[in-house]
Amino acid sequence: MTTTEIALATPSRSRGASLSRRDIRLGEILLAPALAYIFLLVAVPFLLAVFLSLTNSSAGSLQFSFVGLQNFRAVLGSPVFRRALWNTFVFTFVSQFLVMVLGNILARALMKPFRGKLLVRFLILLPWAAPISLATLGWLWIFDSTFSVINWMLKVVGWLGPGQWYYWLGDPVLGMVAIITVHVWRMLPFSTVILLAGLTSIPKEIHEAADIDGAGPLSKTFQITIPMMLPILTVAILFGVVFTFTDMSVVYLLTRGGPYNSTHVLASLAFQDGVLGGDVGRGAAEAIFLVPLLVLMAVVMLRISRRAEVV
Amino acid sequence: MQSRRQFILKGAKLVAVGAAAASAGPTVFVRGAGAADKQLKVLQWAHFVPAYDKWFDPWAKDWGAKRGVEVTVDHVGFADVVPRATAEVAAQSGHDVHMFIGLASAFEEHVVDLKEVAGALEKKYGKPVELAHRSTYNPFTKKQFALSDMWVPDPGNYHKKVWTDIGIPNGPVTYEDLVKAAPEVKKVAPQMQIPIGVGLSQDIDSNMAVRNILWCHGGSIQDKEGNVVLNSPETLKALEYAKRLYSVGMTQAVLSWNAASNNQAFNAQETSYILNSISAYRTAQDNKLPVLENYFFVPALKGPTGIQLASEHVMSGYVVWKFSKSQDVAKEFLVALVDASRESMLASKLYNFPSFYGAAADPGTAMNKKSESGAAWIAKQCNADPFGSQPGDKLSLLAKALPWSTNLGYPGFANPAEGEIFDTYVITDMFAKTATGALSPKDALTEASNRCKEIFAKWRKKGMVAGGSKDR
Repeated sequence: MTTTEIALATPSRSRGASLSRRDIRLGEILLAPALAYIFLLVAVPFLLAVFLSLTNSSAGSLQFSFVGLQNFRAVLGSPVFRRALWNTFVFTFVSQFLVMVLGNILARALMKPFRGKLLVRFLILLPWAAPISLATLGWLWIFDSTFSVINWMLKVVGWLGPGQWYYWLGDPVLGMVAIITVHVWRMLPFSTVILLAGLTSIPKEIHEAADIDGAGPLSKTFQITIPMMLPILTVAILFGVVFTFTDMSVVYLLTRGGPYNSTHVLASLAFQDGVLGGDVGRGAAEAIFLVPLLVLMAVVMLRISRRAEVV
Repeated sequence: MQSRRQFILKGAKLVAVGAAAASAGPTVFVRGAGAADKQLKVLQWAHFVPAYDKWFDPWAKDWGAKRGVEVTVDHVGFADVVPRATAEVAAQSGHDVHMFIGLASAFEEHVVDLKEVAGALEKKYGKPVELAHRSTYNPFTKKQFALSDMWVPDPGNYHKKVWTDIGIPNGPVTYEDLVKAAPEVKKVAPQMQIPIGVGLSQDIDSNMAVRNILWCHGGSIQDKEGNVVLNSPETLKALEYAKRLYSVGMTQAVLSWNAASNNQAFNAQETSYILNSISAYRTAQDNKLPVLENYFFVPALKGPTGIQLASEHVMSGYVVWKFSKSQDVAKEFLVALVDASRESMLASKLYNFPSFYGAAADPGTAMNKKSESGAAWIAKQCNADPFGSQPGDKLSLLAKALPWSTNLGYPGFANPAEGEIFDTYVITDMFAKTATGALSPKDALTEASNRCKEIFAKWRKKGMVAGGSKDR
């Protein structure tokens, strides 16, 4: 390198370093609102919930004392809590299974060209856009024990005879069916959109090559589509599972955990005990009970997703 | 010329400055305004009879305007009253006056002692009705944690034609009448889905209905001293009764009811008997529903030993938060609200009953005659309903509701433990599990009793509830 070249290179390098510093600074500034949001609205309440679960805090008081794991021991001894724990798993896994299966069917259907496709896409997205309280009020009437539209229709077509009636929200099993139905209806659009994006991102050439090699629809699904969609599928499932595990809105608006506390999930039970009942310590213990499991699940699924990306 | 990066950096700075100004701005303005005028913020439920809110809001503002106080009234649905209080206590800010429609006792630590206000009103109007006193005063801590201006009776609502057709034209008198009537109702009105509509679900009305059954069979959650006595032969009898009633006269529909469901079922003529205040009846009147001509009322039903009790349907409990900066104005406001008891009762179309009967007395009545005079005025309204009942004395039984009405926590005082048991549906669940056979009466009782004892023990540790030495 000549002297002239060195002389020319030096300001350029220092300008590069300065630009890099400014990039970092800009990056920090742009990231700051998101980090502040996560810290203030996620981390702080979460840590507060962990702290409260170890205290005898009540809703009407700002004073409390440390009680160790007493709240956790108390809730584990409660049949209502054990039922809610079971329901949480049923609610999450059944609804996520249905969402994935139905979402896949819908996404595949939406990949095909047909008349009115735009309208169908709009209608499919509607449940995602509708406010959940408003939508659930509609479902409340659909499943109403006295005025259920479903029952009246079943009566008209002769499915239900005299004296026969489905008490959707008055029966523990039918109550869970109703809750899962509404939740699947609500989550389906999001899952469909994600799966549709995944399906359309697979290059056509790969499928064409598989066709030439004589691969059937099943082997194409299991050897091409699913492996190539694994990262996006994992994110969709992870989001759905975490969202469902921690959601109380459908349960609370539809059954309020009834009949006799048989359809509670942990989140709705935590609200009932912690906010309505005023036992904040107990409510916090119920609310964070599944956090270790959720963290573990998230770590495992993100690892699977990353590995699939590398492959 | 700016680069894109410079533009973004400048923009970020501007946003930051703007956000800081926005957050500081209202504080500055409010402080400025607050220094000039007094303010009073009232949180009020959305009344079950909407006409009441149309009276209350302008009345409160007018009251404030005459005293240079800017009164703001916010309404929330009845289910949000407690969560909202929880949030305001946690934030230590919000409204000055907060109205509870049930028990405010859990918030005792954060409210101003209203002993002075209650005392002044007592001097002016005589004692409040006993159930209001028992719902707003904690004898253990000796604190008047809330003030009640009104309470609401909870009679039985029956379908006149159906009950006439089964030979009981004046409606049921005892709980046993419901069991006897249910099969007959099915015969004469097979179109009715739920012959007898006593709620057993996780809602406010069911919570009251099951307590009525419990009390009328001689059982209760606590005794007068605050000992947990749910585990008793009387409670078992009440549970066995509920099981019988459910098997002959009810369906799973009653397990899913919300606060409006029994009204809707009765107004749609899908049931022949419910327990409710007159709000459902006023709705039927407003909408001229076909059920109206057969909409009649009976007093609380009697249990096997003749005990006749019903929980109040609503008990107002106004509290003034300790964090309020307008405590004196708030106290004045509560006195004025009690002063307006006549207007309040009429605005609510006879839904609200004054907690201080003396406040409804004729002007100029001697102090020792005020309660009597107020009771006479209340009876006059009920005996000739100014809101179009046919016949005019349809609501006359409400004027005699006081002897059979009681407070949550009967036979003791209301307390935070009773409140938590109420809000977490321990008693309704016990009845529902028994009625449906999900648990035997004994097992359901054991489960509920253990939970009640846990809750009472917790509040006793906090020094807010008495008793414990005679827990069963």
